[in-house]
Amino acid sequence: MQENHLAKWLNNNLTEAELAEFKKSDEYASYERIIAASDQLKAPDFNADEALTAIKNQRTLQDTKVVQLHPFKKFIRIAAAAAVIIFGSYFYLNNLDENIVTEYAESKEVILPDNSKVRLNADSKLSYSERKWSKERNVELKGEAFFKVAKGKRFTVATDAGKVAVLGTQFNVENRKGFFEVTCFEGLVSVTFNGKETKLPAGTSFIVIDGKITEAPAPQTQQPSWLNNESTFKSVPLKYVLAELERQHNITVETQDIDTEQLFTGTFSNTDRDIALKSISAPSQIKFKFEGSKVLFYGDKNP
Amino acid sequence: METKNTGNVCEEQVFDTIFKANSKTVFNYIYYKFGNEEKAHDAVQEAFVKLWENCAKVSPPKAKSYVYTVANNLYLNVIKAEKVRLKYADKTLKVTHESPDFIMEEEEFKQKLNRALDSLPENQRTTFLLNRIDGKKYAEIAEMEEVSVKAIEKRMHLALKSLREKIEGI
Repeated sequence: MQENHLAKWLNNNLTEAELAEFKKSDEYASYERIIAASDQLKAPDFNADEALTAIKNQRTLQDTKVVQLHPFKKFIRIAAAAAVIIFGSYFYLNNLDENIVTEYAESKEVILPDNSKVRLNADSKLSYSERKWSKERNVELKGEAFFKVAKGKRFTVATDAGKVAVLGTQFNVENRKGFFEVTCFEGLVSVTFNGKETKLPAGTSFIVIDGKITEAPAPQTQQPSWLNNESTFKSVPLKYVLAELERQHNITVETQDIDTEQLFTGTFSNTDRDIALKSISAPSQIKFKFEGSKVLFYGDKNP
Repeated sequence: METKNTGNVCEEQVFDTIFKANSKTVFNYIYYKFGNEEKAHDAVQEAFVKLWENCAKVSPPKAKSYVYTVANNLYLNVIKAEKVRLKYADKTLKVTHESPDFIMEEEEFKQKLNRALDSLPENQRTTFLLNRIDGKKYAEIAEMEEVSVKAIEKRMHLALKSLREKIEGI
């Protein structure tokens, strides 16, 4: 009998003699029966049309998927967003100006990157960019400060009222509401106010009160009086004097029946409140009294 | 059963023809191997989607063996064979000249055959069923299984031999 004769038998590949011999064997009937039964077997149902439709649907799905989910494009989008955030915060943090602020009855000394010294008076704010400092020495000022500028490139103080530019000198800048004063103690200071530049030699002041440029009286000191804890005024309307008093002593001042436009010349202490109040009231012939945390200045005629 | 396709598999018509000629066999082939209808459906899906994706690279005459290879590789060593349950066509049951005893004995025999088929080694069962149910020639099965025709004959011979032994309890 041939090798694999059962397979040959099913395939009708047996010789006649072999087939005859196989039919005579005991197993033949069994094999016949197995084949007869197995030829009735069925595989599970399979719907080719449905399967084809499913494949075509998946195909279109995949085609669109390719368009929708471009992984590289998505990556680029995320990368771009991340880059924007990173660079944005880098520049933001880098350009963040240094800010120095003083409250009422407070003063601070600031050393700038070039060792220039700034003394910041009460209720003032100084800001500058440390990053740009090597390119241009620029500070912004609100309030009052005394500058001792180290020699070097042009040093600029920008205020709401005007610009002050120097090379290396000592000067004071005060910029309060309606009041702008620059006093030069050493060297030469250039003040630009309303687009007009004024050269300020040592020992002179540039004062603007309510938009009006006032004749500059020469200070008799080497530095502003407030550095010695005194506030000095020469022909300054009383309202600015009282405003300075509020700042220096952290009090609220109210007035009654007095002309706050009258000019005041004099000095008050920045440390002793009672002396300061007397220093203002006595020469102006006005009276004052405390009302809680407030101070009321009132005219002589009314109690 | 030979597919006589000309042209490109990427052409819808050519693809559809190949699908209609082979999808059922791919389905059965995977079912005989693993006894899992769902997996068999997935295999058809996978194989023909792959064929479509690579339609430019696969020539129509190669398409047939390509889908069998993909379907086969899909579950290579991945899933455990489940019980292969096959039904019998009910054509013979309509003609009931036979005695109830005979019918009952016949039913019993079919159940035995089913169990015996299930316990066959996967490659013997697949070969046997492809030949008996799908009418595939040994040469065709050899191509699908990527073995020689002689190996298929051997499997067929062994399958039949052990079926008899299992049924008769030898």
